[in-house]
Amino acid sequence: MISVIIYTILSFLLDNLISCYRMFSITNPSIFSTIYTVISLVIISSYFDNNKKLIYITIILGILFDIIYTNTFILNIVLFLLIVYIIKEIDNYIPNNIFTINIKAIIAVFIYHIVTYIILLLSHYGSYPIKLLGMILIRSIIMTIIYTSISYILFKKIYFKVYDKKIK
Amino acid sequence: MKKKKKQNRQRILIIAIGVIILVSILSVTLNEDKKASSFSSLVKDSVLNISKVVLYPFRFVINKVEDYNNLADIREKYQELLSSTDRISSLEAENIELRKQIDALKDELNITYTINDYEFLNATVISRNIAYWYNTITIDKGSFNGIKKDMVVVNSQGLIGKIVSVSTFTSDVRLLTTGDTANKISVRITDGITSVNGLISGYDYGTNTLTAEGISNTERVNAGDYVYTSGLGGIYPSGILIGFVREINTDEYDLAKIINVEPVCDFNDINYVAVLKRKENNDD
Repeated sequence: MISVIIYTILSFLLDNLISCYRMFSITNPSIFSTIYTVISLVIISSYFDNNKKLIYITIILGILFDIIYTNTFILNIVLFLLIVYIIKEIDNYIPNNIFTINIKAIIAVFIYHIVTYIILLLSHYGSYPIKLLGMILIRSIIMTIIYTSISYILFKKIYFKVYDKKIK
Repeated sequence: MKKKKKQNRQRILIIAIGVIILVSILSVTLNEDKKASSFSSLVKDSVLNISKVVLYPFRFVINKVEDYNNLADIREKYQELLSSTDRISSLEAENIELRKQIDALKDELNITYTINDYEFLNATVISRNIAYWYNTITIDKGSFNGIKKDMVVVNSQGLIGKIVSVSTFTSDVRLLTTGDTANKISVRITDGITSVNGLISGYDYGTNTLTAEGISNTERVNAGDYVYTSGLGGIYPSGILIGFVREINTDEYDLAKIINVEPVCDFNDINYVAVLKRKENNDD
């Protein structure tokens, strides 16, 4: 459980660190941009037998994301819960391996960007062209794959060799 | 069968109502023009300051790598600076004379605030907002340092945006790239001799330019003209450079000009900013 919390905190801080640098900008999204917190949710969700604990962690991450990064109230709580629900549903049909976990992470990041895009348009916050959304989605794939693969290998090979059990 | 259909309809109705309520709540929460609660202010300040300490080694390494990359053209920059230092003393004398003239004109025209009446409060960017697609930044100065909502934020190049939310030790800045149609910026477009007034009304992500409207087609504007804040509207003081005219188009009726303004600021590379604070002796 502690390693899961440390991993999610690190991913959360990584979002802060990475967002500040030039290559991660809106007008020219880099091929290395992604949302690390969302990927961490995908990785940890399959290691939870106890859904209650997973929901608590997701809500806490959502609250922190809302307060610190987006200055909103429930936007990210809803988004994160939606992503975890979808990933859990997919988990019932597709078992995890290095290939499927990457697909799930890409789906999760895409859901986050697309839902955010729709909400920003509906709330008249700004006018973003759909081409930009497409560019952000495509350019987020590489870093999503890299971070998901590293995280999956670390969890699979290190964590489960030590504990060899799911979180109850 | 009928019962099943009815149940399905009810389910769809409940989901539709749920989605509408959710979108409405989210629309309200997306409104940044609200005061941060003491709880969120406390959480935000604590986490961002902790992350500042935790991430310091990483930032240090990344900055060193960037500095090393910048070393490549340092000789060229040094030569440029050497040639420009010769002009500094003459510019200083010209500046003193111009200040005198501005003060005299301000008294005569009864103008209250210009850029000279503000002091600069320097701040560092500690986070860039992910969910607003990087259009909001967080700086490490808050109400404790005298920051208030709607204060104007600039960097060494020109206007960046304005403060939209303030907590005790941090503040959020909405960038000009948001294309916030509710907060248009009044600007003056000038070639140094003649000037016309207009409004910055949006940002074009395709061309990376700001859009200026409200300029009659009979007015003369040329590519390369300076675009400054005009001071009208009350939030932005006059005289802050925004950019240069890149392209001039007309609207569909050929009555007004639509101008693409190339911003002077690189919105993708903002690390240090300055918040404009009215000088104490000028406060009402």
